[in-house]
Amino acid sequence: MFSPVSQAATFTAAMVDQNGKPLNDVVLTLKGPPSKPVLAPKADMDQRDKEFVPHVLAVHTGTLIRFPNSDNIRHQVYSFSAPKRFELRLYEGTPSDPLLFDKPGVVVLGCNIHDWMLGYIFVTDDPWFGVSDDNGKLTLNDLPPGHYVATAWHPKIADMQPVPAGEFDVPAGGLQKSFTVAVQATSNQMPMAPAPSAFGDAFHKAAHE
Amino acid sequence: MKLRSSFQARIACVLIALLLIVIGAVFFAVKAATGDAVHRQAQAQLEVGTRVFEGLLDIRGRRLRDAVQLLSADFGFRDAVSSADSATIRSVLLNHGARVNASDMFLLGMDGKVIASTVEQIPEGSQFRYDQALRDLKRSNQSMLIVPLQGKPHLLVESTVLAPLPIGRVVMGFSMDTAFAQELRTLSGLEVSFAAVENKTPGALISTQPDSLYPSLTELMMDSSKGQMRMTEHMSQRFLSQSLLLADTGGSSGGQVIALLQSPLDQAMQAFAPLDEKIFWITLAALFASLIGTLLLARSVSLPVRALAVAATRIGEGDYETPVVLERSDELGVLAVAINSMQSGIAQREQQLAHNALHDGLTGLPNRALAMERLGSAIAAERPVALLYLGIDNFRAINDTCGAEGVDQMLQQVGQRLQASLRPGDTVARLVANEFLLLLEHSDSDSAVAMADKLQQMLIKPQRVVNHDVTLDCCFGIAVYPADGNAPQELLKRAAIARQDATHLPGRLQIYEQGRDLAHQRQISLIRDLRHAASNGELMLHYQPKLDIRQGRVRQAEALLRWQHPQFGSVSPAEFIILAERTGSIQILTNWVIEESMRQVAEWSQRGLRVQVSVNISADDLLSGDLADRVSSLLKQYRVPAEQLIFEITESAVMREPEHALKVLNRLRDCGISLSVDDFGTGYSSLAHLKRLPVQELKIDQSFVRNLDETSEDAVIVRSTIEMSHNLGLKVVAEGVEYQHSLLLLERWNCDTAQGYLISRPLTAAAFEAWMAKPLTTPGLLVS
Repeated sequence: MFSPVSQAATFTAAMVDQNGKPLNDVVLTLKGPPSKPVLAPKADMDQRDKEFVPHVLAVHTGTLIRFPNSDNIRHQVYSFSAPKRFELRLYEGTPSDPLLFDKPGVVVLGCNIHDWMLGYIFVTDDPWFGVSDDNGKLTLNDLPPGHYVATAWHPKIADMQPVPAGEFDVPAGGLQKSFTVAVQATSNQMPMAPAPSAFGDAFHKAAHE
Repeated sequence: MKLRSSFQARIACVLIALLLIVIGAVFFAVKAATGDAVHRQAQAQLEVGTRVFEGLLDIRGRRLRDAVQLLSADFGFRDAVSSADSATIRSVLLNHGARVNASDMFLLGMDGKVIASTVEQIPEGSQFRYDQALRDLKRSNQSMLIVPLQGKPHLLVESTVLAPLPIGRVVMGFSMDTAFAQELRTLSGLEVSFAAVENKTPGALISTQPDSLYPSLTELMMDSSKGQMRMTEHMSQRFLSQSLLLADTGGSSGGQVIALLQSPLDQAMQAFAPLDEKIFWITLAALFASLIGTLLLARSVSLPVRALAVAATRIGEGDYETPVVLERSDELGVLAVAINSMQSGIAQREQQLAHNALHDGLTGLPNRALAMERLGSAIAAERPVALLYLGIDNFRAINDTCGAEGVDQMLQQVGQRLQASLRPGDTVARLVANEFLLLLEHSDSDSAVAMADKLQQMLIKPQRVVNHDVTLDCCFGIAVYPADGNAPQELLKRAAIARQDATHLPGRLQIYEQGRDLAHQRQISLIRDLRHAASNGELMLHYQPKLDIRQGRVRQAEALLRWQHPQFGSVSPAEFIILAERTGSIQILTNWVIEESMRQVAEWSQRGLRVQVSVNISADDLLSGDLADRVSSLLKQYRVPAEQLIFEITESAVMREPEHALKVLNRLRDCGISLSVDDFGTGYSSLAHLKRLPVQELKIDQSFVRNLDETSEDAVIVRSTIEMSHNLGLKVVAEGVEYQHSLLLLERWNCDTAQGYLISRPLTAAAFEAWMAKPLTTPGLLVS
């Protein structure tokens, strides 16, 4: 009853750090049997509560990404990363044109007026990829069974370079696999979001009433 | 009085020395206190300044870091830095560095490599020298790093470039220049110097101090002892200094940055200069005032003291009249009063002493010394003066009768009576116990005799003394100035001689005779020498033969004493016997005579010459009591028969104490010695008395015999005496037979024995012996 085309397997990965704790925001890419090309893929990197959402966004090379602004303040999103240097002038709402990420690599996003805002766009050529959730779980559906080469990346990985995550076969009945990704301690070089001050709260309240 | 030794000068010296010590102590105490205060103040200032300095450095560092951080967050800057074009990066470093006045800018990679640099010495691509130090700095959350850079001290501030992840570190250097030092100086109040040391070589000094001090400051900063507060001196300016090692990067390069903070002391000291000056002037004023004060004080003490000393000297010299005048109520005033009272006390006592010295204590009359003085003054004034020397001869008897108290009373009465009888200007003085002297001014010997007579009459009246009626036996000697001498002592002596002579006179009054003092002198010498004449062998016996008239031969002789004086030659017995009797030395002579005559008799007896020798015995001998014993023992000693001795005694000798004399005579007679009455007829001859005496012989005094002739009155006396004597059973001796006819008369009147120059003068023992050997040649006797 299953056609070969429709024949698909589910791959579930559990991401843990070197301490065995579930690790979120791990990007896992798989390279395996040939598959259908993805055409004009699109993605959104939202800004909500002065944070990039999602924190880590994995996209396929050639994806158009929009940067909608869900806050009621303006943001100025920029990136000096080599795969995609850009700057979106202060804006509200969604800028008119999405940006095309056509080179693989890590693009670090910042906001020029909110130094603590940090977001990552992982651009990959691999057809299958996913980002682990808060429980460190990652599920890829519709995988054709076969042999796969896995690569893992995490914002706190050493040198911010993707690391190979091994090769394995995914049977038709699916596969559950656990991956260990070594991460570095949080760098203190990042500015922290300022604590809301009493004066600031009062000012904010006064401004909105 | 020398100034140096005077009391005044010493007080002044002591006080001024004390004052100097006190002021000196105060001055040095103030000096020490101010110095200490300044030092403390400087120290406090330095400590505070050091903290301020460190605080300022820190603030400056933070400010620079903030500035750099702000700069590094600039989007354009980050954009340029992330472009990785070194020229662009260098230009943006220069551009943005200029905004915060940074002098040197670097961009480092996260690995510490220099990406871009504005300093040629630090090339791009090399490892940044202070990379590790910066990392350490960040770890310890400090804001800046101080380093030597190009020989100058720099502040290095680092900031991470976020894009938004860290992509590099921008490091900016700020040169610590003179302006910075001046700013620190203004805020900390300290002199500030910096120096960078690289390879142990100090770079150029950056300092707020003047250039001239740089070498010594540099030297001080290079000194190894850091971090200690020290007192330093630079070009004779004193500072309290503190070095701080701001940076020590260690390693082979040995880069150091040293800060030197200094608090100037002289300036602080300068604040106390007016105080020193004030103390100096106060000292000077106090010294001057105390000098004046002590001089016045010392003067107020020393002047009265000198006045008192002068007064004491004056009193010592005998001036008791001038009082010390010292109008003061203090101790010196009290002393002056005491000296005055002492002066009057001394004067009073001296007067008393003078009176005592010149007056007789008993009678209150002037004494010998005062009398002599008055006599002397009369002589000096050539006033004629008569000396009346009064002696009370029966003084001893009065003393025995009335006792010492009575004598005193008697003498007082005599003194009063004498005093009362004198004319004014005359003097009566008491010389010794019983002798007074009267000086009669303007008197010659005649008026003196009249006065003496008057006094004699007055004193001879009996006076009542202690229940006794006393009659004074006074005698007077008179000497007169100028007739009898012109020296007080001489006149007094002559008056005394005259008074002595007067005792032997019935009138009890004698005027001095010229030459009496020589005779008196001779008498004194004789009296003195008489006692030793016998022991000195100056005495000898002469023998005068006594002729037995009836038988016409000589069997007897009278021993007569002769004295050969070493000075005066042969002295007459008439002279010295009287002196001997008067002075009590007659017994010595008599003893000698008795013994010598016995010896001679014994000697003659041995040669066959048998002579009966008669010896003169005085009244004193008779009364001495032991005459008989002595004689009998001598008779035994010389083995002389008592019959060969005759003792001749005068009637008057027996009469003095008849009973006693009689006893002695009887004892002598018992010994066998014949007794003879000498000088018969001169005294108060008493036949009744003669009858009682145990005598065998009677010697008619030569005064009856010498000029005996048939018709004279003497003839009657001699003839009747012979007859009377014979009737009483006594033999009769006639003395002083000098003429043949006298002898013939005596023979006719049956006188037994004749003695005199007709027969022979007294002969020495040898001559007598020879005379006896010759046949008798007396013409008359031969005729008969």
